[in-house]
Amino acid sequence: MYERDASMITVDRPAVVCFPRTAVEVQACVRAAAHHDRPVVARGAGTGLAGGAVPVASGVGGPVVITTTKMDRILSVDVEDRVAWVQPGVVNLDLTRALAGHRMHFAPDPSSQQSCTIGGNVANNSGGPHCLAYGVTSAHVLAVDVVLADGSLARLGALEADVPGYDLRGAFVGSEGTMGISTRIAVRLTPNPPAVKTMLLDFVSVDDAAGCVSGIIAAGLVPAALEMIEGKMIEAVEAFVHAGYPADAAAVLLVEVDGLPGGVAEDAAAVASVGERCGARTVRIAADETERQLLWKGRKSAFGAVARIAPNYYLHDTVVPRTRLVEVLREIYDIAARHDLLVMNVFHAGDGNLHPLLVFDAREPGVLERVHAAGDEIVGASLRAGGVLTGEHGIGLEKKAYMSQMFSADDLDAQARLRAAFDPDERMNPSKVLPAGSRCGDLQGVPEGAWV
Amino acid sequence: MKLGVDEDELASCVGCGLCLPHCPTFRVTGEEALSPRGRIAAMREIHWRDAPVDGELVRIADTCVQCRGCETACPSGVPFGHLMEATREALAEDRSLVYQPWWRRLGYRALGHHRLVVAGSRALAVGQRLGLVPSTRLGLPARLPLRSPALEPSGSDVYLFTGCIMDAWQRGTHTATMGVLHAAGAGVELLGHGGSCCGALQEHAGLGKQARSLASRVMAAAAGAAPIIVNSAGCGAMLKDYGRLLGTPEAVAFSARVVDVHEWLAPRVDALPADEWRKLAGPVAVQDPCHLRHVQRSHLAVRTVLRPFVDELVELDDDGLCCGAGGAYALVHRDLATDIRHRKLASIERSGARLVVSANPGCLLHLQAAGVNVRHPMQIVASAVAPEP
Repeated sequence: MYERDASMITVDRPAVVCFPRTAVEVQACVRAAAHHDRPVVARGAGTGLAGGAVPVASGVGGPVVITTTKMDRILSVDVEDRVAWVQPGVVNLDLTRALAGHRMHFAPDPSSQQSCTIGGNVANNSGGPHCLAYGVTSAHVLAVDVVLADGSLARLGALEADVPGYDLRGAFVGSEGTMGISTRIAVRLTPNPPAVKTMLLDFVSVDDAAGCVSGIIAAGLVPAALEMIEGKMIEAVEAFVHAGYPADAAAVLLVEVDGLPGGVAEDAAAVASVGERCGARTVRIAADETERQLLWKGRKSAFGAVARIAPNYYLHDTVVPRTRLVEVLREIYDIAARHDLLVMNVFHAGDGNLHPLLVFDAREPGVLERVHAAGDEIVGASLRAGGVLTGEHGIGLEKKAYMSQMFSADDLDAQARLRAAFDPDERMNPSKVLPAGSRCGDLQGVPEGAWV
Repeated sequence: MKLGVDEDELASCVGCGLCLPHCPTFRVTGEEALSPRGRIAAMREIHWRDAPVDGELVRIADTCVQCRGCETACPSGVPFGHLMEATREALAEDRSLVYQPWWRRLGYRALGHHRLVVAGSRALAVGQRLGLVPSTRLGLPARLPLRSPALEPSGSDVYLFTGCIMDAWQRGTHTATMGVLHAAGAGVELLGHGGSCCGALQEHAGLGKQARSLASRVMAAAAGAAPIIVNSAGCGAMLKDYGRLLGTPEAVAFSARVVDVHEWLAPRVDALPADEWRKLAGPVAVQDPCHLRHVQRSHLAVRTVLRPFVDELVELDDDGLCCGAGGAYALVHRDLATDIRHRKLASIERSGARLVVSANPGCLLHLQAAGVNVRHPMQIVASAVAPEP
């Protein structure tokens, strides 16, 4: 139950699951775990897709899972300074809803935003459709109170801009629970745009849709969001939301532009004209907020709707240069076909952040091997195209084996040292992010200060 | 242990977690084990990996309110209600577990005997007045009715299903409903002997046999082809499910006749005399019963029916999260039910409404017990179109 997140990965069962309500209780949990030489794994809502919150045993015994779901209070909202202090278990969408009266929101909006927690967003440096224009979580976290591996409490970052010294907050955001557990987070609040237009462009060819993505950016537009859904995924999503997604389209683009009303109208017209030039069959603009919400609900429910096709999915979230989208997508189709698998794409096209979902039924013998082999090749293809391993889901357990394809031994060693500076005993979420042996082994036994 | 679940239905959860915030027990506890995804994981442990069923696994299954809010939230359409009902039935049938002890089974069985229900309720009402019944401790309404006015059939256009506890404790809602139906031009017939208890509470408790036997009795008590109108969301959802439950063509045909009263009235609302001056001033908040919103999915009809009679209808901001009533749930799991209700009360408070409407007897009782001014929508409409002389 607590041994898995929203991916399929399971390793060990937790020995203990803790539900602290305060930072002091988190400290007590971490100290108790240290005393008994147990690894500590932080968990929010368990919506991660890379096994980051999946417990792995090390040391003398089973892992201790620290769940933050009971730390779900919004502690303060300062509208003038546009900052809110929240506990890590606050649900992303709950925060945005609580801010609605102030016409503000929390900008990072992962597709799981109705369930996922801010603490998890911080740990994974989460993205979301609107991060194309607004930036990922790191850009929206000002300061974090963190319980470190020894049980002490530290504040990283500050509310003031330009604090002198190293940006430890920056190191912590995206560290996937390997540097500590957040207990209080100061998030930046973003004013709601005065006007928004959401458009649905539909295509009979995936190549045309992918080409249109580059076309829109090349035209000098920066939409608030630029998403692509293709193939059978459109069907699955439409069966759930009934938003009028055209089931016979090869691909659709969901494009949102925001800003001042005049500019928005202009941008929308520009997007529509690029779309038509790229071969869009229709361009539909959401008539009202209800229709707009419904379209977004469809996009954000996509992973969950997979079971309408098959009961399991496996995906990578590599990022490739936008201009290479067309060819990488083609390659992904070829890879899936070679392994006799169905692939469905639904992704943040605007920043080239792919989510090719390999869908299958795990009860079918031998299918997992094919899925993993196809996954490997997809990662390889993305990296060859000049891409990176992950856009927003994190490395977790799933992608750490690929880290050495992306980074040199020196890179990995530098990262391992940074981690060790926070957690010398590797007690915080061990076996995640960095592959075993990242730290140059021959350096470990050398006395401090020795010249090597 | 094998649960009587459909293999594909059990496999159909991808584990995305989008259901979590829509689950009342997860919302108040933050425990994965008390979320739909966690409960499915537990079912899989039992059914696929033969995990020994211990107290914790029973608690995981038994604390589900069966609101089915997870079903409307699930992009893959996992039929969680079926899975949970089948799980509970398997647990109840394994006598070594003592899930549903004899006295509870007896209580559920008694609900099928309407005279017993009415007599028992009257005895409690007398006891209350003599100060012999600790109502709060037993989770009873503060003042049960001593006697209720008899319902008079007025024709045979439609049936009105009146239920067991609801008929004993809230007959006023039936009087109001009959008045409204009459004003809409329909003659109302009542179900015959044996047609009182729909079997929902029994089905939800895992007592499938009791439930199916009650279903057969209800079907026999509503002969003909007239629509069967229900003003209790929980009962309506159950009657609509007889087709699946019994799997017979008769049951399928019966279920097709069942309609929630608001669903039936919505296209006929213009036929009701709506006087501007009789309109209720607002704001009035609509609290959707889960089995109307998440199971029957006809909750919008409540608004259509109320709009001509209420100045200002307001929505709650909790996405239709359960109030914690859950049939017998508020009696069996009082602490959880109370915590869940706290969220609902906070949402009602934020709405600014001083009156709440809810189209299900369980929700009415549960919210009334917390001091909320709450009424059945039919009472609002009746006071406008069929005022008592």
